Amino acid sequence: MNLVRAELERLTARRFVQLMVVLLIAAFGITIATTLASSHRPTQVEVTRAEQQAATARQEMVQAYQNCLAARAAGVQPGQDGYPANCAEMDPARSKHLPSAGDFLYQVFVFDQQIRPLLYFLIAFLMLFAFLVGASYIGADLTSGGMTNLLLWRPQRMTVLGTKLGALLGTVLVVSVLSSLLYLGAFWLIAVVGGLVGDPTATFWTDLSLTYLRGLVLVLMAGTLGFSVATLGRHTAAALGTFAGYVVLWELGARVVFEIIEVARPDQWMLSSYLGAWLVGRVEFWDNQACRPIESFCDGMYEITWRGGLLVLTLLVAGAVAASFTAFRRRDLA
Amino acid sequence: MSTVIEISGLRKTFRRLRGGAHVALDGFDLLVESGQIHGFLGPNGSGKTTTLRALLGLVRADSGRMTVFGEPAPERLPQVAGRVGAIVESPQFFGNFTGRRTLRLLAVAGGVPTSRVDAVLEQVGLADRADERVRSYSLGMKQRLAVASALLKEPELLILDEPANGLDPAGIREMRDLMRDLAAAGVTVLVSSHILAEIQLICDHVTIISRGRRVVAGRVDEVLAGFDHGEYRVRVAELDRAAELLGAAGLTVVGHPDHLVVQQVADPTAIARTLGEQGLWVREVTPLTPDLESVFLELTGTGHRSAGTGPEHTAPPDRGTGRDAGEPERVIELGPTATGSGEVPA
Ligand SMILES: Nc1ncnc2c1ncn2[C@@H]1O[C@H](COP(=O)(O)OP(=O)(O)OP(=O)(O)O)[C@@H](O)[C@H]1O
Ligand SMILES: [Mg+2]
Repeated sequence: MNLVRAELERLTARRFVQLMVVLLIAAFGITIATTLASSHRPTQVEVTRAEQQAATARQEMVQAYQNCLAARAAGVQPGQDGYPANCAEMDPARSKHLPSAGDFLYQVFVFDQQIRPLLYFLIAFLMLFAFLVGASYIGADLTSGGMTNLLLWRPQRMTVLGTKLGALLGTVLVVSVLSSLLYLGAFWLIAVVGGLVGDPTATFWTDLSLTYLRGLVLVLMAGTLGFSVATLGRHTAAALGTFAGYVVLWELGARVVFEIIEVARPDQWMLSSYLGAWLVGRVEFWDNQACRPIESFCDGMYEITWRGGLLVLTLLVAGAVAASFTAFRRRDLA
Repeated sequence: MSTVIEISGLRKTFRRLRGGAHVALDGFDLLVESGQIHGFLGPNGSGKTTTLRALLGLVRADSGRMTVFGEPAPERLPQVAGRVGAIVESPQFFGNFTGRRTLRLLAVAGGVPTSRVDAVLEQVGLADRADERVRSYSLGMKQRLAVASALLKEPELLILDEPANGLDPAGIREMRDLMRDLAAAGVTVLVSSHILAEIQLICDHVTIISRGRRVVAGRVDEVLAGFDHGEYRVRVAELDRAAELLGAAGLTVVGHPDHLVVQQVADPTAIARTLGEQGLWVREVTPLTPDLESVFLELTGTGHRSAGTGPEHTAPPDRGTGRDAGEPERVIELGPTATGSGEVPA
């Protein structure tokens, strides 16, 4: 318990961590400020017009659906008209997103329509924060001799390293939750005061919260990964280098090579696919090999679901943690 | 008297990425008993720090047995860590923290009441600068902070690797007084240092390591006595005639430009008597008792480097010991992995 307290204090007193928190807040502040600046409370006239436009658009959807049903009932083949084979695809009742007034309001921040990309931005930023803080926290300790000093005091390597990881994840979680509260709260406030809240349903809130929770898992994973790789490489730079190297050589470089040599389904070799799948729920990719030779109809899509994403990411993080703890257990410390 | 540290047959080979292996410890033994102030001496790279690191669980030894307070190390170190305060080779501290905060964090992590912080800051003379950042400390101040950190736990065993590193003369003296006070209070101290005069002043026991092996160990006075060859420096007007007379009296004499060294003397008055009877009046007869430095240089074979004298001298000439290095006073083991000047006295 004492060790945890000391580690928490050590972590929060780090200059780098404080700087990162400031940067985090600054980035959020800029996002919030630009949103605020480019949004205004719509006048009654604007709202009425937008509502009319939305109503018209919905009307058109219903009409098109009816037309489709009528055409199929009349025996018109798909392809002869512009409608799909299965008209249910056009059923407005099954549509995820029906046109609403928000779609026809310009320069207006509508919470329920625009918060999702902003949430992704929040998560991406928190992941970066967690990764950097995790790497530098242990990296600086290993290179500065702080770890050696601590081990002279507590000659229990696994306990010390585990406590450090725990302190890191705890701090990252608290910072993440607090900053997201501020961030999302600020956008809510903008919506209420200088924009529109929209029409948030219960499903909307559940969806948003689930995405947020999945994002938090990613943030913790990023922190753990930064910590583990820096431990393995005995240096902060090891984690940063691995990250940069991975992105440049694999996500960008190997992708190009895969395209050239026509490897099937290159996306399934990319971590970013699994990351996206976990966060969004499922992602679809186009299989460039599936539809050869080209036939009349071919569904060349394949998908990665959140289960696959979680599995791959968990294996990756667990592997890194296991490797770093095993290495640290036996290694000679300077 | 109980055994505090026992090391036997400790071996450690560092494997380099390129260039194979390097034997740092080659079957090293060490015995420290409670209440001792034990000096740990050896040339650069002889393995002192490696020994202490292995003992404290920072590096993994290849083989050998180590115990601290009777508990096998490093396996059961956690059980005795609270009784051991240690600094190993100029510890680095986090530059952004103040000295006080550094110590407080260690105290918290180790479960020591934070009231100890002020006490140790006072003890090492760092109280006035305690609230400045460690980054701004001088070398000696950092060293004091390191010693303070080792003292926090009120240890029963204090392990200090070159604590005098970077200290000014007053600091060295304070360190000496500190160690004496601690020893008087019953603390066992194991201290490595290159300041041999200092070690001779404060230590009662000594272990000398060379190329990863123990070359001598024991009470300081006994070690010195073991190297006392009964030599005397004689200053007299007619050196040549005096040498003849003494030689005729059955003494072994080595001539020097301005004095003689007489060896294997049982009764020093015989020198003055022999010369006086022939009308040669002795100006000086000084026993050449060895000090730690001469013993160290002789045992570790590092004397040649600085002395630049003939191979029969293992000590610098101004020491005037001039003894024959070939005497098998005790077994001088030198490791096979010669890294230094490598001249094993024949
Ligand atoms: N991490 C390491 N990797 C490789 N070799 C090492 C390592 N640490 C020490 N050595 C080697 O082991 C030998 C013993 O080193 P050690 O630091 O124990 O010497 P020392 O007696 O403390 O010397 P000094 O008086 O200079 O402090 C040296 O030859 C050194 O080069
Ligand atoms: Mg050393």
